[in-house]
Amino acid sequence: MKLRQSMAGLHTWGGLLPSWLLFVIIFAGTVACFDKELTRWMRPALHDGVVSSLGADDVRGWLQQNVSDELHAFWMHGPTEREPYWRLGWEVDATKTIHNIAFDPRSAQAEPMPETLGGEFFFKLHYNLHAGDIGMYIVGLAGMFMLVALVSGVIIHRRIFKDFFTLRPKANGQRAWLDAHNLFGVVGFPFHLVLAYTGVAIFVASYMPAAAQVSYSGNVMQYFGEVMGSFEREEVGQPPPAPVSLDALIAESRQQWGGGEAGWVSVHHPDDASAVVDVRRRDRSRIGSPQDTLSYDAGTGELLNRQDASTGYRAYLWLAGLHMAQFGGTLVRLLYLLMGLAGCAMLVGGLQVWLAKREQRGDRSVIWVRALNASVFAGLPLASLALLWGNRLIPATFAERAVAEGWVFVGAWLLAVLWAVLRRHQSRRLLREQLLLGAVLALGLPIINALTTDGHLIASLGRGDWALASVDLFMIVAGLVCAACAWRLNATPAAAAVRGRSTRVQEA
Amino acid sequence: MLLLAFALAYLGMTLLCLTMNRHRGALLRADTRLPGPAIIRSLAVGCFGFALWLGVNSQGGEIGTVIWLCLVMLSGLLLVLLLAWRSRWVLPAVPLLAACGVVQTVL
Repeated sequence: MKLRQSMAGLHTWGGLLPSWLLFVIIFAGTVACFDKELTRWMRPALHDGVVSSLGADDVRGWLQQNVSDELHAFWMHGPTEREPYWRLGWEVDATKTIHNIAFDPRSAQAEPMPETLGGEFFFKLHYNLHAGDIGMYIVGLAGMFMLVALVSGVIIHRRIFKDFFTLRPKANGQRAWLDAHNLFGVVGFPFHLVLAYTGVAIFVASYMPAAAQVSYSGNVMQYFGEVMGSFEREEVGQPPPAPVSLDALIAESRQQWGGGEAGWVSVHHPDDASAVVDVRRRDRSRIGSPQDTLSYDAGTGELLNRQDASTGYRAYLWLAGLHMAQFGGTLVRLLYLLMGLAGCAMLVGGLQVWLAKREQRGDRSVIWVRALNASVFAGLPLASLALLWGNRLIPATFAERAVAEGWVFVGAWLLAVLWAVLRRHQSRRLLREQLLLGAVLALGLPIINALTTDGHLIASLGRGDWALASVDLFMIVAGLVCAACAWRLNATPAAAAVRGRSTRVQEA
Repeated sequence: MLLLAFALAYLGMTLLCLTMNRHRGALLRADTRLPGPAIIRSLAVGCFGFALWLGVNSQGGEIGTVIWLCLVMLSGLLLVLLLAWRSRWVLPAVPLLAACGVVQTVL
């Protein structure tokens, strides 16, 4: 009995305090299931579904012509089904500054597309909150708290099997929300546990660095190199010979793999005679992608190394792959999306239980918790919708366009927070207005998309381009759900008020 | 094939639900006779097992198992949401889902 009581306290506070942060992480991760589709939606140049006809050498040619800095490395990825265009990134030597661009697939020459944050914004928000290494540690800590809350939740839940199918929406507030919290927590338990565990495991070398630091006397890069079985070559300080064709190396790699596809192609210290080209294999048919990178001499094209990853690293990749859901196609991503939404519902339910309990005691300070709820649970989705509006309305020629989109997101969220604080005494009215705003924003997106680009819903559906149409369709469904919820909330204020009064009378 | 797996997982969840008195009253008339709970539960396990077999058969061992687990969880959520708001649809949903699954498998 004592164990249960102590676990109850741990579950309440260890779950409550990081729950707003966890909502941000889980919501962003849920959206990131379809990050590439979102990126396509956010880049009008990709709307007609043309696949790029450029080659790796054209992309390198663009880099040589347009970037004069000495590079530490550059890397590129060819067109795929979900991303039918070339991507290029480079790191300037000794500065650690990284640049990324994407090329317009419709153009016969390498021509960059206008900048956008893309769906990757949500992916990054999911794993480091756009706060670099510190953000990564904060997210890791939140993930560990989630594991603690999940395990302690199982311990304190006395009727896991008896209440497995129980949901009583008509019961009083606390009971109904506890049912909902239990339902989404217990039925979705395997998913939440696996995703929280694998999510923390992805950065395990950063969260538990001591062993590698000691065994490799502080040289962590050597540790990573040995574990991954990757190939490194010291710089020799001499100018490079004329490089061999990257397209030829990709073709040779595909032959080596018996027709397997190439993914990332990277070149390390390209301005030195020791330059190395790595061609990485891309395989979406497995959970842990095969680590079969081929390394070539950039000048002669000689095969220098075939990656041989350790078993431990393969196990790690399997765990990471299970988290990232890049296998199994759209179906797996859709299932992860639905389970992620269940995770969000679990968090909201848990907070409502906490609130309902304290409201019955007549605690005044819960008003501020309600305001915080409204600013995170409603503010984040509203800000995300605002980001998509910003993406459509900021002109393509605008300098630093991606940064402007980021400010739209931040500004919209701050406004949502301000709104929630000002309306903190009328939480029900606030929620209804937030739902209405959400409906307007979501339903407006397909319209504004049709007005500003050629990739409107009818065109994409007519082409059978479900990947692009799904974003518009999702917005329509989400908008209609918001509108329906707002309407219901409007239709039943009297009943709720009466119920609220009667419980207070009982308390008295 | 995966829709059929979902239908089976839903059937398994419904069977488990029928072994509990609280839900049985909401789903069936009081005079309906059912086999003992042990039999129903083993039938439910059989449904889950068959659904797993379908998943593994169509997507391979690794990915099929992941998909199966997600389908089982989602079928449970669907069943509970129906029980709470539209309990009359719970039982008709079984043949409906199964029919959709068969059609999808055949096509």
